[in-house]
Amino acid sequence: MIRNEIRRLRFEHGEMTQQALAERIGMTRQTINAIEQGKYSPSLEAAFKIASVFGQPLEAVFHYAAE
Amino acid sequence: MLLREMSFQEKRAWISLATMGLIYGRYFWSLTMQGGRGPFGSLLATVVQLVILQVVLFTLAAIFNPRDAQAKKDERERLIDLKATRVAYAGLSAGIICAYIFAGFPAPIVVRFDANSLLFVLVTAEMLRNVCQIVQYRRGVYA
Repeated sequence: MIRNEIRRLRFEHGEMTQQALAERIGMTRQTINAIEQGKYSPSLEAAFKIASVFGQPLEAVFHYAAE
Repeated sequence: MLLREMSFQEKRAWISLATMGLIYGRYFWSLTMQGGRGPFGSLLATVVQLVILQVVLFTLAAIFNPRDAQAKKDERERLIDLKATRVAYAGLSAGIICAYIFAGFPAPIVVRFDANSLLFVLVTAEMLRNVCQIVQYRRGVYA
């Protein structure tokens, strides 16, 4: 399962809203919410886009966790 | 509250499921009551009612959240569409085969091999697609 730090990173980036993040990477707010809740694993391209919004390397945003 | 959480595509799936269930449910029920035969006009009226109802509800959904309505489908929504369509295709194929196999048997209207049985299979497959979409939107979509 892919876990992520998006919620924390949004908070650390001026409490960026899900909508604001979604608009920056061309997704819907509901998809950002689904990623945060672990209900959807984004494509590699989307994962890179999210990491670049926060100025972080990919592995600082997403981690693989064996269930 | 729940409506605000839904993406426009999920609302579309709910609207499509509800309207098709209501309008076609009534059509097939009346057809069954008439012994499986109905005038072509009643099918035409059913289709017109469905189109009008869906256009009104889709428009209302768009008016209440224009930003979501204008957004293009993203990768998650496209994946949900693809998975739901795959399930619906399997259902459609199975339904057509069943309708064909039961063609020679005295059976209820839904499995008689005629235009209405094929319409029933088609409507059921589309509703199955909507159900699959909704389940994935609610429970998550996994590879």
